[in-house]
Amino acid sequence: MPKSAQSGHQANVAALYERSGAAAYGVSVEQFAAILDEILRKYFTQNSAHDPDPNSARASAEQKADFCAGLRLEELALARACAAGNERAWQDFIARYRQKLHGMALHITRDGAHAAELADSLFADLYGVNTRDGIRRSKLVFYTGRGSLEGWLRTVMAQEFINRYRKQKRTVSLEEQTEAGVQFAAAVQEPAYTSDRTSDQRLEAATDEALAELLSEDRFTLASYYLDGRTLAEIARTLGLHESSVSRRLDRLATGLRKRILAGLRMQGMSHAQATEALETDVRDIGLNLRSRLTQDSGAKTFPEGKVPAQDAGKGINE
Amino acid sequence: MTEVPKIVYDRLRAVLPDRAGPEQTHPDADLLTAFAEQALSATERNGVLEHLALCGDCREAIALALPPADIVIAPIATETEAVRATPIPAKFERNFLTAFAWPSLRWAALAAGVAVAASVLLMHPGKLNQATLSSVNRPVATTAPPASAPQIAPSSVPASSVPASSVPASSIPSSSVASSPTDESAISVRTSARTNEARPNSEMRPFKKLNAGEPVTPSHQAERGMLLAENKNKSAQAGKWSATPSAGTAAFDAPTSRRATETVEVSGAAAAVEVAPSADDTLMALNETPAIERAKPALPEPALQEKEMKANGQQKTQAAVVPGLARPQARAMMSSAKLASPVSQSLAHRVTWVITGGILQRSPDSGQSWQDALRAHHPLLCYASHDEDVWAGGQAGTLFHSADGGVTWVQVQPSIKAQQLSSDVTHIDVRGNVPGNVRGDVHGDVRGPAEIVLSTSNGEIWSSADGGRTWEKK
Repeated sequence: MPKSAQSGHQANVAALYERSGAAAYGVSVEQFAAILDEILRKYFTQNSAHDPDPNSARASAEQKADFCAGLRLEELALARACAAGNERAWQDFIARYRQKLHGMALHITRDGAHAAELADSLFADLYGVNTRDGIRRSKLVFYTGRGSLEGWLRTVMAQEFINRYRKQKRTVSLEEQTEAGVQFAAAVQEPAYTSDRTSDQRLEAATDEALAELLSEDRFTLASYYLDGRTLAEIARTLGLHESSVSRRLDRLATGLRKRILAGLRMQGMSHAQATEALETDVRDIGLNLRSRLTQDSGAKTFPEGKVPAQDAGKGINE
Repeated sequence: MTEVPKIVYDRLRAVLPDRAGPEQTHPDADLLTAFAEQALSATERNGVLEHLALCGDCREAIALALPPADIVIAPIATETEAVRATPIPAKFERNFLTAFAWPSLRWAALAAGVAVAASVLLMHPGKLNQATLSSVNRPVATTAPPASAPQIAPSSVPASSVPASSVPASSIPSSSVASSPTDESAISVRTSARTNEARPNSEMRPFKKLNAGEPVTPSHQAERGMLLAENKNKSAQAGKWSATPSAGTAAFDAPTSRRATETVEVSGAAAAVEVAPSADDTLMALNETPAIERAKPALPEPALQEKEMKANGQQKTQAAVVPGLARPQARAMMSSAKLASPVSQSLAHRVTWVITGGILQRSPDSGQSWQDALRAHHPLLCYASHDEDVWAGGQAGTLFHSADGGVTWVQVQPSIKAQQLSSDVTHIDVRGNVPGNVRGDVHGDVRGPAEIVLSTSNGEIWSSADGGRTWEKK
């Protein structure tokens, strides 16, 4: 790195260090710079999906500066100081987030006992009771300041809940459920999935093609609404849109998908009547088959413990 | 909302293993948090969305990590979605949602409409009577137009201080009411004033005002009274306390034929110039009584209390004249005639008068706001007020009298035999009709019409001891 660029980078780091208030937690400038470098390496790896323009070194330097300036520096300093075991940082963290953690857990689990357990478990992970190679490692080292620390805590807790409690729920014994008053209905024998296989393949191909033409945001909207049963408000909040925009988008997507599928079926040699019939027929059959297809049952952990390397995440996203 | 074909559900789900693969990796909590907080660049956001479209676990993690407050942004949508989340057939779901939503909206709209109608009735209870009254008043306008009809400014009708029964055209002479069909101001004054007659106003004037100076036949007047009573009954049905006070006042004073006779005499004085007075007025008062009696069933509590007061003989005279509690005190105040600039104020009403540019103005709030109360053909020069009796004089013998605090005005033409007052009225003095009283020093009860003393620009002194019915020149 040229001297001028290096001095500029140092000045930038010094300014960011000043903004972060890391000095109050005993974090030196060098330590802070190392934290920033680590984060930059994570998100600005060559050929990474997160690098907006990896071929331009100058643009990348400017973008890195902007990227660092956009980080939640104060919360980053607090999290990293906590991970380093700074007492004052922990006092601040506990004062700010300890109570919130329980509220978050209660919101996620909807159950007091599970909420307390989840919150305490997460707090232990944050403190770093788990040791790896004899070294206490706090989960807070994975916080990079891209979003708020509170949001990160919620996400981590949600992932933990999905990993732990959602699967545990399926393993509750029949005896416990019976004691809890759960009535077990006789298993519904689903009718055999009988459909014209040729027609079904053509329909699937047309549907896949129609879905592939959609934007990723549209597919996310469809999946969230129709598969996950999310509310319009939740989807709107996630995408940063207004609720009515999501509603209109869903209407538009449903109408457009039907047209595209019918068009795709006609392209494959079906008449309009045949295409319509195939679509409607499949609606009935798929409707019965959908229940089993939508049921997730995976023994593996959904979210791995610890962090996912940035480049790995990028690959997963790209692929 | 439009349903997607069910094959879309299946294919959305089915593409996940193909796209993500068995060794799928998830964006870390940092990226998901930044995505939920809209803190990612466009490239990063698209990458995360690409993964989220295929990964139900990450979608669930993001949904669970949403702040609680944000989830409750739109409770209606949440409710709808909660209903939708239950496994109901699509057709039934649509019907159920429609049946669930529309009646709520319908009833909400109906409730809102009722609330608006009720508030309008409470705010303007007399509006319902407007159309009927206008149609009733139209035939009155067929009488001969007068030589000089005063212009009563429409804005001179203060909504707050309109006496209940003072509004009918009876207190307006034929010259001002029935002068011509184009004299809409007078009609509008009466009509708008009637809108206030149903208010539960403690300042309600007694029934005697109903008959003052009405140049209509007894039968017609009786018909009007019936219509008035009917309208009041209708108003009473629409808004409980809207019409009853006036009806109660009318019923209360209806038996007091003496009062009615007195007001007929006053109107006769006014009509002496414009229209020949007749004994019809007396008949009119008598004929109107039964019509007003019809409003008795709608008597409100204040009217009943007044009746009780009358029966008990407590403050009989005061109650008979003015139901208001402050009225006896106000009656104790002696009005004084003043020239244009000084301001007089009634303690009972806090009504302040002033003449500006030849126009009599009225302030119902002790001078904070002003309304034009009377605008005559000739500029007004002086006025005098005594309680709700207001006299205003101006150039060329202009003299007006209002017995209801300036709501309605009657032009009075003082005359002796063949001689009429034609010079400028520069000073008016109103004295209470109490034996031995001194100007500006009236205490106690005041009964009957006041003594009016006019001073003119040519040194004449005109006085009337009977409220302007007959005049003497000194």
